[in-house]
Amino acid sequence: MRLDFFSPEEEMFLHSLDSRLPEGDLVKLELTLQQNSTLKSKAQQYLQLREMLMQKETDSFGPFFAERILHQIKQRTQEIDYLILFFFKKYQLVIIGIVIALLAANIFTAEELTLKSILGMGEQTIEDIISIDVYKNITE
Amino acid sequence: MQQPPDEVLIEQSKNGDMASFKQLVIRHEGKVAGVIRSMLGATAEAEDVGQEVFIRFYESLKAFRGDAQLSTYLVRIAMNLSLNELKRKKRSFLRFSPLEAATGMNDGNQTMDLQEQLQYEFARLSSEFKAVATLRLVEGYSTEETAEILKVPVGTVLSRLSRAQQKLRTALAKKLKS
Repeated sequence: MRLDFFSPEEEMFLHSLDSRLPEGDLVKLELTLQQNSTLKSKAQQYLQLREMLMQKETDSFGPFFAERILHQIKQRTQEIDYLILFFFKKYQLVIIGIVIALLAANIFTAEELTLKSILGMGEQTIEDIISIDVYKNITE
Repeated sequence: MQQPPDEVLIEQSKNGDMASFKQLVIRHEGKVAGVIRSMLGATAEAEDVGQEVFIRFYESLKAFRGDAQLSTYLVRIAMNLSLNELKRKKRSFLRFSPLEAATGMNDGNQTMDLQEQLQYEFARLSSEFKAVATLRLVEGYSTEETAEILKVPVGTVLSRLSRAQQKLRTALAKKLKS
């Protein structure tokens, strides 16, 4: 779309509709509007346009919009619950198998059988900490 | 009976009261619909975006601290989702404007009255022009509020508004009274 020439006065007029112009500019604009019939005509068209854009009926997405939202929210929540349940049901045997294997490995490798060692919660020894620091120093 | 303010309904919604959340949706539907319809036209996507606005709000309820007014917060989500939808449409090479798509029109000058042609030309504005015009001229937000919602400087809002209005006036010049 080719635009007409956009004069500084025209731009100033449009700015005056959406922001506060300095007093000097306002006086200048009023004077130009009185003298320049083309600008005056454009100004009237702009005002008509803005008036038309402001005339709008109250918008709505139709009846039962809120109910549809609540239904969607409920549906999404149910889908998430179902996915969690589905995932657990599908892989429950595998997960239980892995847990039993890890517990068995802990039982066979533990030096003494305590609940902590079976669960793999053995305390970190001072040697572990020192060896990590030494390794860090070598690699730095 | 006096309706409880938004803050009360939000707190009740946070505690799982869906009736309060429903009241919030009913209260703010008009504002959200106005913005989305102005951006996307009266299309099926517009309602989908409208639903997504409130679902996103519901999902972020716990994090909503009320720094901004709820209506402004919802309008911001609505505007962002509408702009995303316009980008998505552009990417899919759907170059018809919503009104064109809905009515099959391809020439804005024939057999339309002034209000229809204004809608047609408005739909043809680029998304950044349409966004400022929607908030400032259609929804009546102040220039500063428009800038805040769109996260752009006030000067940018003013220049985009000028260009948008100039485009509209140029397109409709013959039909507008002078």
